[in-house]
Amino acid sequence: MTNDHPIRTTAAVINLFTVLARWLLGAAFLYLGLTKALHPVDFLKLMHQYDLTQNALLLNFIAALLPWFEIFCGLFLLAGVAVRGTALTLAAMLVPFTLLVFHRAQLLHAAQNIPFCAVKFDCGCGTGEEFICRKLLENFLLTALSIWLLVGRGRQFCACYSLFGR
Amino acid sequence: MKEQPVRTKVANRRSTVGRILLEAMLVAVIGGIFALAANRISPRGLALTRNYFPAETNSVVQVAVNLTSLRTASGQNPAPPMPGDMLAAQMKQQGLQLVDGPQSVQLFHDSHLKPGVIFVDARDDLQYRQGHIPGAYQFDPYRPEGYFPTVLPVCQAAERIVVYCNGGNCGDSETAALLLKDVGISNRKIFVYAGGITDWTNNHQQVEIGERNSGNLSIAIP
Repeated sequence: MTNDHPIRTTAAVINLFTVLARWLLGAAFLYLGLTKALHPVDFLKLMHQYDLTQNALLLNFIAALLPWFEIFCGLFLLAGVAVRGTALTLAAMLVPFTLLVFHRAQLLHAAQNIPFCAVKFDCGCGTGEEFICRKLLENFLLTALSIWLLVGRGRQFCACYSLFGR
Repeated sequence: MKEQPVRTKVANRRSTVGRILLEAMLVAVIGGIFALAANRISPRGLALTRNYFPAETNSVVQVAVNLTSLRTASGQNPAPPMPGDMLAAQMKQQGLQLVDGPQSVQLFHDSHLKPGVIFVDARDDLQYRQGHIPGAYQFDPYRPEGYFPTVLPVCQAAERIVVYCNGGNCGDSETAALLLKDVGISNRKIFVYAGGITDWTNNHQQVEIGERNSGNLSIAIP
């Protein structure tokens, strides 16, 4: 009985942290998505600079849908709907996008002959021009939070935690 | 005896992972449909089938890398290329003619004497209203439909068309010039002012605020 109390306290703290992490991640994606969705042409131009594809249709799809998809995921996380599925989707988007940003930063680093962390550009993330090391740290934190949500803790304040029960 | 609960645990974990994967796929599908609908409804939404970049262009980064390699190969000091250099190199690749600041100022003064010279501003509505080269026509290459009825007849009649945007890394003047070329305007009369409005104001030239021919002139963009 006496040993049970600290365990429950730790569990409550972890649950609270997870709920806050979910809200933080949701709010972040809602904000990042909105800034891009309100200026889709600017986002399209930034995506074009990555030389992802020469296919105009594919480029348009990425630039048109990604911001709204981020808004959708942000809203799901804030409301607590399909939390783990949404978190997995976000992690699956964040990892390749971070690698792309890193690759572009390496190109700029090579072209400009400046220290890597001094490379500054607008990566199309919705936060404007930023130093690359700061951007990579931000993306790492967002990915870590997404992965943390997969653990399955902090189910409080959720409209529908899982679409398939449990 | 102990194997049974372990097996059950492993099976439960597998089923949880499966459920999460399935849920993620469902989220992706529903989110994709939501995003398509939102883009369609949004007045700022992109036209999915349009080619917003009419010519195959290298990115500014790629051009910077090429310029640095060229300088290194030719034994020059591989100093970082300026954004203006990068854009100029890119536009030369497209067969577009460039004009610098003094040439643009000269053309601007010529336009008062010879009505055959026009300026085309390839920036968006907000930037145009904040300040443009006096008398310049706005032509946003990413929303061209609304501008063609005004700009096309003027460009057809003009002898020289100077297209500009913000300058630096801005590639919108190039996109606009290529779009004009695509609709039949001879590229021999299209000139790209790579320095753009930044260079114009740095040279202490007047800008016009608000609508075209508003008469509201200023020496700097407020």
